[in-house]
Amino acid sequence: MKPPLFLFRHVTKRFGDRVLLNIDEFAVSEGVCTLISGDNGAGKTTLLKIVAGLIKPDSAKVRINDIDMSWAKARARIQRNVVYLHQDPYMLDTSVERNVAYGLRLHKEPRARIYEKVADALRWARLDHLAHRNARSLSGGEKQRVALTRARIVNPSVLALDEPTTNMDQQSRISTYQLIDELRNEGMAILVASHDQTGLTPIADHHTQLISGKLIEAELAFKRSRGTKITRLPR
Amino acid sequence: MESLTDASLKALSLLVSGDAELWAIISISFGVSLQAILYTVPAALLTAYALAHFEFPGRRTLVSLFHTLLAVPAVVVGLTLYLTLSRSGPLGDLKLLFTQTAMVLGQMALSFPILVAMGHSALQSADRRVWETAHTLGATPLRAMFTVMHEVRYGLFAAVIAAFGRIIAEVGCSMMVGGNILNYTRNITTAIALETSKGQFAQGIALGIVLLVLALVLNYSLSTLRHRLAMQA
Ligand SMILES: Nc1ncnc2c1ncn2[C@@H]1O[C@H](COP(=O)(O)OP(=O)(O)OP(=O)(O)O)[C@@H](O)[C@H]1O
Ligand SMILES: [Mg+2]
Repeated sequence: MKPPLFLFRHVTKRFGDRVLLNIDEFAVSEGVCTLISGDNGAGKTTLLKIVAGLIKPDSAKVRINDIDMSWAKARARIQRNVVYLHQDPYMLDTSVERNVAYGLRLHKEPRARIYEKVADALRWARLDHLAHRNARSLSGGEKQRVALTRARIVNPSVLALDEPTTNMDQQSRISTYQLIDELRNEGMAILVASHDQTGLTPIADHHTQLISGKLIEAELAFKRSRGTKITRLPR
Repeated sequence: MESLTDASLKALSLLVSGDAELWAIISISFGVSLQAILYTVPAALLTAYALAHFEFPGRRTLVSLFHTLLAVPAVVVGLTLYLTLSRSGPLGDLKLLFTQTAMVLGQMALSFPILVAMGHSALQSADRRVWETAHTLGATPLRAMFTVMHEVRYGLFAAVIAAFGRIIAEVGCSMMVGGNILNYTRNITTAIALETSKGQFAQGIALGIVLLVLALVLNYSLSTLRHRLAMQA
């Protein structure tokens, strides 16, 4: 079996006197979808942001390719590989199209190709009719869909989704589940923090609960039936 | 001494007839102040960004220092610069006293704290998620900075307009380090001061009208920007 892309160990984070996270081990592996649940304020968002290299833990080690290093040392590496999607996504003050193009425009790709990809992604997300609207004026669920499209289009190795479906309608939820399933099958590592267990457990490979700062492996309420197990493409 | 009405009529005719001396003075004012703003904006915005985004010891003290510097009168800046540039001063060898360059330097010093203080407030109001979104989607720190600046651009424009408004209207510093030399360092404000002291009001009034119109334009742009800011929030 391949080693995890990133193995986070001894992750601690406190705010004031309160120890929010005290996690022994957390693996991020290719082609694996991990559902993280936990009460409000349990620290799911904080954990995902640490994993994405966006906020500093008090201490943490990261093992990459069997080499242990400090979180600080691994930070650039994890930032390059992990895309984090906010629970309450921020829309840049520009059109939907440009929001989605943001990540692609950071790399040297021909403009025409970028906008071709953007158009495809928007069509997939059923957002094409909003392409030229200012993203700030969208509804909560539309913003979430734009943010998901904006994140997946850069094709990261790891996608950290923070409550991706909270504001979505039924159809958008279902297509989000399908997208997660598809991306995972293509080999992406997916972390989903969510309260939406009924929707996500059927596609998740693991379910872990964040309780009092610890991660506890939980039963998947609905195990995927063996027949649907998909072969993962190594990247 | 001419009557106010006569002077005002003369002032209008000077403006309308495109009086060469008058328009030379106006163009010197704009030239100097625009240069000063242009040179100051990059450094000031970088400073403001650093103050808004990085934790380092003494950061809060620095922020209040810049707010204090806002209150320093132009003549004090002028005096300091005069002493620095005068023949016996530390930079006396550069022979910059009574040149446009000296005026530009003085106005840069005056605009820097305004740009930093107002720029800092604007940048600080940026949502942390902007920075996080930029970073997570692969932006370099520099690119992330531009993205954050773009998100609060109206606040930054407001800072630039306020700074320009201050330096084009200041008189103390330009007078001291520029020396009010006709066709070279005589700008709107120093010309008004000089002509008035000579008892000739027409040119002073004409220039005063220019400053007033400018103030109107700048204030109108500021209020438009504020409106945009409010809409954005
Ligand atoms: N910068 C901060 N300063 C102080 N406390 C913080 C900070 N960030 C988060 N916290 C606290 O840490 C706790 C965990 O927050 P976090 O957002 O990670 O929870 P969560 O599990 O994502 O909750 P939710 O289900 O509501 O999204 C909360 O009690 C929050 O108040
Ligand atoms: Mg959360």
